[in-house]
This record gives sequence, structure tokens and C-alpha cells, in this order.
Amino acid sequence: MGIEEKLPSGVLLTTVEGVAGYFRKASFWPATFGLACCAIEMMTSGGPRYDLARYGMEVFRASPRQADLMIVAGRVSQKMAPVLRQIYDQMAEPKWVLAMGVCASSGGMFNNYAIVQGVDHVVPVDMYLPGCPPRPEMLIDAILKLHDQVQHTKLGVNRQREVLEQETQQLNALPTSEMKGLLR
Amino acid sequence: MTVTPSKAGSNAPAPQDLVTLTIDGIETSVPKGTLVIRAAEQIGVQIPRFCDHPLLAPVGACRQCLVEVAMPGPDGELRTMMGPPGRVKPQASCTLPVAEGMQVKTQLTSPIADKAQQGVMEQLLINHPLDCPVCDKGGECPLQNQAMTNGRGESRFQEVKRTFPKPINISAQVLLDRERCVLCARCTRFSEQVAGDPFIALVERGALQQVGIYEKEPYRSNFSGNVIQICPVGALTSADYRFRARPFDLVSTPSVAEHDSGGAAIRVDHRRGKVVRRLAWNDPEVNEEWITDKDRFAFHYANRPDRLTHPQVRDGETGELRPASWPEAFAVAARGLRAAGRVGVLTGGRLTREDAYGYAKFARVALGTNDIDFRSRPASAEEEQFLASRVAGRGLGVTYTDLERANAVVLLGLEPEEEAGTLFLRLRKAYRAGGTRIFAVAPFTSNGLRKLGATVVKAAPGEEVPAIEQLAHDGELALDGGGVILVGERLATVPGALSAVAVLASQTGARLAWVPRRAGDRGALDAGCLGSVLPGGRPLADAGARVDVGAVWGSTVPTVPGRDTDGILAAAAAGELGGLVVAGVDLDDLADPTAARAAVASAGFVVSLELRASAVTEHADVVFPVAPVAEKPGSFVSWEGRVRPFEKVLEGSNAVPDVRVLAGIADELGTPLGFQTIEAAAAELDEFASWDGERAADPTVAASPAAPAPAGSHRLATWKTMIGDGPMQDGDPAYHASGPTPTVLVSAATLESLGAAVGDQVELSTDTGTAVLAVGVADLADDVVWAPTSSGGVNLGRDLGAGAGSAVRLSLVPAAAPAVQEAM
Amino acid sequence: MPTLKEQFWDPVAGFGVTFRTMFRKVVTEQYPKEKKPTAPRFHGRHQLNRWPDGLEKCIGCELCAWACPADAIYVEGASNTEDARFSPGERYGRVYQINYLRCILCGLCIEACPTRALTMTNEYELADATREDLIYEKQDLLAPLLPGMEQPPHPMRLGNDDGDYYRGTFRRQDDETGEATQ
Repeated sequence: MGIEEKLPSGVLLTTVEGVAGYFRKASFWPATFGLACCAIEMMTSGGPRYDLARYGMEVFRASPRQADLMIVAGRVSQKMAPVLRQIYDQMAEPKWVLAMGVCASSGGMFNNYAIVQGVDHVVPVDMYLPGCPPRPEMLIDAILKLHDQVQHTKLGVNRQREVLEQETQQLNALPTSEMKGLLR
Repeated sequence: MTVTPSKAGSNAPAPQDLVTLTIDGIETSVPKGTLVIRAAEQIGVQIPRFCDHPLLAPVGACRQCLVEVAMPGPDGELRTMMGPPGRVKPQASCTLPVAEGMQVKTQLTSPIADKAQQGVMEQLLINHPLDCPVCDKGGECPLQNQAMTNGRGESRFQEVKRTFPKPINISAQVLLDRERCVLCARCTRFSEQVAGDPFIALVERGALQQVGIYEKEPYRSNFSGNVIQICPVGALTSADYRFRARPFDLVSTPSVAEHDSGGAAIRVDHRRGKVVRRLAWNDPEVNEEWITDKDRFAFHYANRPDRLTHPQVRDGETGELRPASWPEAFAVAARGLRAAGRVGVLTGGRLTREDAYGYAKFARVALGTNDIDFRSRPASAEEEQFLASRVAGRGLGVTYTDLERANAVVLLGLEPEEEAGTLFLRLRKAYRAGGTRIFAVAPFTSNGLRKLGATVVKAAPGEEVPAIEQLAHDGELALDGGGVILVGERLATVPGALSAVAVLASQTGARLAWVPRRAGDRGALDAGCLGSVLPGGRPLADAGARVDVGAVWGSTVPTVPGRDTDGILAAAAAGELGGLVVAGVDLDDLADPTAARAAVASAGFVVSLELRASAVTEHADVVFPVAPVAEKPGSFVSWEGRVRPFEKVLEGSNAVPDVRVLAGIADELGTPLGFQTIEAAAAELDEFASWDGERAADPTVAASPAAPAPAGSHRLATWKTMIGDGPMQDGDPAYHASGPTPTVLVSAATLESLGAAVGDQVELSTDTGTAVLAVGVADLADDVVWAPTSSGGVNLGRDLGAGAGSAVRLSLVPAAAPAVQEAM
Repeated sequence: MPTLKEQFWDPVAGFGVTFRTMFRKVVTEQYPKEKKPTAPRFHGRHQLNRWPDGLEKCIGCELCAWACPADAIYVEGASNTEDARFSPGERYGRVYQINYLRCILCGLCIEACPTRALTMTNEYELADATREDLIYEKQDLLAPLLPGMEQPPHPMRLGNDDGDYYRGTFRRQDDETGEATQ
């Protein structure tokens, strides 16, 4: 992405990682993507009672280019999927996606032809939030967990090492055909 | 299955036998003697019922089918059937035959009938527990359904329901929840009337009335599973299926039972990729609504842990089997078979018609040999000739319905209850109807023959031929064109017997049918899995037949007649055959299991197509996993000659049928079979029109008098019991425990001379080995004993090296164990 | 033309609202620093309960799976044996999975459960980064072992048969003596 990706491994890189993570999580602007009932809870989260402003997140950006986090709140219909992807593509890196509610996460109870069975079919999801709809506390909890994830994002060589490790782990994992029930 | 099937082909009534009556204002004419409940069904009026079953005698036990009936009196005026003065008495429509001019009002038009039915339903539900959510029957329960359609919305019963401890075993397989029972007596009537095993009955009186068994006498029957299916509530459940699934979980597929040659229609229910239960399917032409316990419960074999899942090749260095890819296994098998030179093919009795055809063509086209035999049991050349002349490619011959119409049925070398359960039930039906007399040549009057009311012509093993010859002159039997001769596969072991049967059939004009034990035997014969028989019953010796077959195959047919199973194994052991292709043969079934094992072990190159690890795969050089019946389409041919097609049950399975494996090997050999799928094989097999040319002549083997047993020993009579040992019966302990105890049967005099009592353990021994079984008594000749061929862990061939007619010694096993305990 | 009041007084009056609010109690909840308890019957994460002796209440009947409108529950029952008993009675749930990415926390499964094996807790912090982690297995759902409970498999400690358990006539552990009393 930038110079931080080119840094050699070592103290400098970890310091930059820490600083970059801190800056990123501390200015975390959500792009609104309210699609259904979850959006009501999402709006409540931004309101005075739950007050996302405590984390500098009160401004739900209507313009994707100024946003870092896409909160997909609600069921994504097949028709909405390309729109969603376009919004995602218009967001500037680094960017994150939070699937809010079971419909966005997996299709939820709408296991039918009209609904995308999980927004991760369209965009990479960093945090799944169950609930139907999740209460604002749950959303805040998910965002904080995401903050934590952002804070600890690796860069450069460390990132490559992490990717390699994850890949090895996945290759050695139990194949889904051997798994039981819902995991299959 | 409580709705009467439309019985095509069964005695259609003459028009003058019709009775006209009115049901719910609709006039209808039905044959005389029809019950009102069935007449109502025919015009589409469903009267609720529990005890009524079209195949059981009416009993009127549950009183659910009450209707209002009016009859014209002598003056022609309609009079409603009355009870106490001024009150209509509703009648049970399941026991009431129709009468001319009868006016029936069901619950649809009569408030009286409706109220009566609701009252009965309420009474039945008083003591019925509300455990539908955890009941196996919930979702397919006639009581549940009819309580919804014909019951009250609410219960008025405030008191405490009667409870029983639950469940109790009435056999190892069948469990009884007494509080659920509505006392319809379907199970007791089935066991008494249809199966002839009256081990269950209604005991006690009043509110305590319940289905019971005799003390210390469980409900042991080969057909006990049927009572579970016909129970209209969840009172009878099977240990095997209990709590495994709910009806709405299951995907049901009609199929055909693979355990005997009866061709019984079944329904296979599967869930999550596994078969969880099998039920009888209604086929009035074949099995009606009954199947044997083997067909019902023996299906776990396909899910055993030793199921083969991938091809294996014997590693040249380690000598062990190692997993291989399909292409590699095909290549190795083809290379080995080519190097082996002459190869024999043993197909066993479990193949479908299509798979058998694949083997028949594979042997002739790809291997260029006629060394192929489907008979994995004691067999003879006489039998081969008999099959070629009388059975192969004959199409539909004697049918189940013919048995009911026959004036006499002769059973030769056949114990229907154990070896062909579906046939047994139909014979019993024919016997009970009274028109059919049943004769049997057997060493003793078995339970099955007693239930058929059979006249037994006793013949010790090996001495059947004179008895058969005598039948032609038997005045009591008076066999003629209206008679049927049923020949079992066991007769092959008696020299001259099948020749005598052919003569008997020709002399008397009686119709002849061959009843093998295994489901695949008749299909394999028709497909040409026999050394001297080509597909469609064409004799190999006939040049025209060879040209016929060659034209379809596009190649020449080898002319040298093939060896039989024993010959192939002997040749393999002697090195005359360089290789073997073996499919699903259990070596313990053969006449000499020890020699067979040695032959397979010493054969140059063995290709095994198997479902599970076996004695053959142990020694095989290449092992291919093949699909069990539930995982492939196909067809079996029943003993009637009826083709019984079935579809793939487990759609998700990737298991490969034998035909596909053979096609793969043939492709590698450079002689493609021309088909790779079951459907294509069936299409090619159907191209063979039935053979109208010359057939092989009847066998003319002279009887050789049986050698009397040496002093101190007995001649062995033996056959396989239905519930016994075998790879296709593995996996369900309750099923094995539900069958009759494996027992050695001796004559009363022998029992006395042994000093044993019924139930004691006796030891059977030969020079080869010994086996211990319980002893029982039967009307055997004094020098004959009977033992099951393969039951209770004892296999006579493997453990004793003995078969039918062998000499065995008997001795009492001292009851040592209790004595030791007392001493301590 | 706006009046003088509208021109000068109204804008200032608006700040009055702001000013007044400064002295009011703050409504903002300080989650996650201060977690306000949910309503007692809030539908949160599920829990598989145990009998007081540690045996599981689940009998593997799958009614929860059938009640579930979102197909989020998977159950596989198995038979208890004398050597390995996990619940009173004949059957227990061998595999129990809830997919929280499908579950809408509607509570129909709770209503369907015939043994009260499945109930809901008030726990709601469920977010996670992967789909797999949100499929909770039996060990994630089972209630923790309280004092006096014993990890199954073990024989029925509180009664002779499952009827004693269901009717609640089992012996209660006497805390002081540790002896079982009726």
C-alpha cells in the first residue's frame, strides 16, 4: 500500500505497526449501509444513548471514499449485491467490513433465492455479528473487537509471515467433508 | 398402509355377484362379500379405522369405523339398525359385509355416526399417553391423523392416565409400549394368521388388557418386523429404529430387497446419507405388504467400519495393500490380468442383473474365457445343465399368484420359511385359503413346513431321488398340470435329483420353478454368468447362439465350455488359471471353504470387487470398492423370473457399481465393454431377445445311493436359516438375537441315547473340527441330524468341513460351568 | 419580514435548550465500561443445562432443530449405555451445534425442548471474526459444572431411573452430611 509495507522486519516495523494500528482504529469512520431492521439499531448506536462518538465514530459517511468501515446492516438481496460491492470498491484502503445481524452474516432465516447467503460472498468480512437484530451493545462490542483486530494488524514482512502461517493451518485443517453437521 | 390396494388380476368377480348399496347417498355396486368399509373406500369415502387391515381377517376390535346402517325389510321399507328402543345402533363397517339395498351413512352425512366415532376416539385416547413428540410413530401415526380428522378438539378426561413401565421387549428387536396400545389386535392377528408364529396375544382383561408374550418365550419370528409396521399407533417399535429419526426427517425411496430371491418391494428411508430403516412396500403381485425381518433389518452392512472406500493395490515391496488412485488401480489390474493369461471369474450371488451382465461380457470379451460361475455354494454340473435347459432365459414362469391357484405345490430341497420368506408367506396364504395342498421332500417336518400344513415325504440327505421319483405315482398328491414344483438350490448337491425333477415335471405336466436363495442368482443366470450359458439363456454349445451374442458384442465368443466355481478354484490352485476376478464371494459359503481360501491365496493374480474387507480382499492384488445396493440403480430377477428394477436410494453417494469398474479394467485391457453405466448395460442386455432356438437337454444323471453313515456317526442335513451369519447381515445385534436360537435337531431316540435334554449343548464333530450348539428334537430319522449351515457363529463348512450328507459325530457337552461355581 | 423576536431572541433561545440540557442527567450508556443488565428474559446465547448431578438434560430428540425457523440447530442423538451414560433415560445428544450466524434468537427451540435442556442466557457479546467460530458446539453450549456436579459419563446418581429425574422425586444431596436423602 505504502511505505509501511516496505519496511524491514524488526523494531521499526513493530513500532510502525502499533502506531498505524492506533491511528487507524482511532479514526474509524463507518460508511452507512443500512438495508433493513438492523439499520435501526445501527442508527441508535450512533445516537445519544449509545453514542458511538465516544469512539470517534458518530459520523456515518454517506460517501464511501471518506469511510473505513462498512457496516452491512440487514439482509442483502441479490439485486443489492453489486451495489454493495461497488460501494466497497469505492472505499479507500485500508477498509473493513462488519456484517451486522444474521442476515448479512449468513442469510439468517432467509434461506431463499432472493437473499445473498452471507455478505462474505460479495466482500471480505472482518467481523460477524449475530443477532436479529443485534442490540446496540452488541454492535459496539463488535466494533470494539474490530478495533482490537485493527490495532494488531500486521504489516509488511510480518503480514506475509502471518498469511503463510494461516495458509499452512488451513491446509492442515480437517476437511469440511469430515466435519459434522453444520460445519460441513 | 391401511387403504386397500386395488388388486389387479385377483379373481375379478362375475357381474351377477355384484351387490348394489348406497353409501352417503352415492349408489355403488361392489362384489358380494365386500365389507362396507372397503365399498366406501371405492367411492372415495374414508372411514377411520385402526384394527381393519385388508390382508387380515376382520375382527372389529377398535370400533372406530362405526357408521349408521339402514336395511330394507321384508316389506321393502328401509329400517335403520337400532339398539336400545328409540336409539340408533351404529355398526362397525369393517366387519359388516354389504347387502342389497343397504343404506350406509358415514361420518360425512350422519351426525350419529360422527358422534359415535368421536366417542370411540375419545375413549381410545383416555389412556393413550401424550408422548407424540418423542414417539417414533409421530408424524405417520393413524391415531394421530384420525384424532385430528375424526376426534374431538379437546379432551374431557381429567383423571390420571394409566401407565405401564416402558418399553418392554417382546423380542430382542420388537419393543412394546403398552400404554400406547389401542388393542386393535393387528399384531396378534398378523403373527397368528399370516406368519403362523402365534407367540403374542392379548392378555388380561379390561383396562389392563395388553399385548403379551408367553413367559420366557420371546416373540421369535422371521417376520416379526411386520407387526411394527402395521401397528396403527406407536406401541410397537423396533430397537433398531427407535429414536433414530422422525418420519418427516426421512427421504423415502421405493426399492427391492437384496437378501433373497423373492424380489420383495421395500421402501428405504434414509437420512443424512444413511439408511435408517426399511419398510415393506405394497406390491400385491409379489410380497403384498409383508417382508421378512432380513429384508427389513439387515441393511447395516453398508455402513460397517470395514467398508472399502478407495481402490487398493498390493505393493510390490512391502506386500501390503496400499491406497491407489482409480486410474492406477485400473492399470495395475489390467496389466496383471494380461500377464496372468487365463483368468476365471467368480461373481457370487449379490449382483444385480446389470452388474452380472457386466461380468458375463467382461469374461468373454475382455478375458476371452467362459470360466465364469455365479454359484458361490455347493453346486454340480448336473445343476448347470438343469439351469440351462429349464431355467435360464425363460422369463416370467410360475408366479406368486399361480401358487395361490395351484392345486398342489411340491417343495424339493427348499425350506421356504428360511430360504425364501416371501414365498413362504404366499404359500401359507394359499394353504389357509384351502385350495392348495403342499407337499415337501425333506428330512423332517420343520416348523415352516408345519405352518404350511405340508405333507412331508421324509428323505434323508442323499436319498431324495427315490422319494422324488415316487411323487409321480403318489395318489394323494396326484400331481398334474395344475401343480407346481418348486426346486431349491440345495438339490444340486444330490446327484440325480435334478434329473429326477425334470422327469417328474415332464411326466406329470406340473409347472417347474427354481427358487435360489440369493437375490442375484436368477439374474446372473439370465445374464450369462455361467460357463455354458450365454445371455438370455442361449446355450454356449449352439453355434447360432454364439453368433447371436457375438453380433451384439461385436466380437467372437470363446467356444471352450467354462469351468464351474469349484473347477475354477481348483484350476487356480493348480496354476492352470493364472488369475481370478472375484466379486462379493464369501468363501465360507463354498463347498470347501478351506480349499477355497488356499486357492485364492495361491492364485497368481486376484482382482477383488468388494464392498467390505473379506477373505478375498486379504489375498487380492487389486481391490476395488463397489457400491452396495442402496447406492446404485439396477434390478434383481425374482425366482419367478420377474425383473424387479430399483432406483438409487442414496443420491449423494459416489460409490461405483461393478459395471463401471469392469469397464475401466476392460478399457485398460484394450477391449472396451461398450458401456460404463448401469443404464447402458441394461439397454444392451435388453437387446437380447429371448432365445427361441434349441436348448440344452435335461440332465440325465443316475442317482447314486447315499452311503450310510459309518457306525457312531450321523448323516448331516443342513440349510441356512434366514437369520444367520453372513456379511450382509452384520451390524445389528438386535436382529441376530431376534431369530430362532441356532439348534442341532436330532430324533427323540438319538436325544435319549445321548442322554441329553432339549436345550443342552451338544458338540458336532468331524475329523476336521468341532462345533457346539444347543440341541432340539424333531421327527428326523435316527441316523440323521440337522444343523443350520451358518448361524450363531458356527459355519459347518468352515468349522467342520461338512455339508449336506456328510457324516458327523454327536456328543453331549457336560454342563461344566455351573458345577465349577458350586464347587467354589 | 421576520419580527425582531424571530431575528434576535429565537436563536439565543435555542442555546437555552443546550444550556438547560447541560444540567440534566446524561443518558449515554457507558458500555462497555458499565454494562447495564439486560431484561431478565432477554434472549441471549443458549445454554444446555444439566441435572444437579451433572448429567445432561438433553435427550437428543431434535425437536429444537425442528422448531428452528432458521435451520440453525443440528443434533445427533445416540444411545446411553450402561458404561457410558450422559443423560438419564435412553438417549442423549451426542452432537449439538448451534449456528449463531443463522440463529435469530427467537426462542422457539426453548419452547420446543421437552426436558428444559435448552434455555437462553443473557449473554450477548457474540461477535467473532470467522464463520466457524460462530458455530457453537456442545462443549461451548453446556452449562458449567457447578459444585456437586460430576462430568458425565457417570451413572444416575439421583434416582433409579429417568422417571425419578423427570418427576423431580430424586434424592437431594444433603449439604452437611453429603449423604443422599429422599
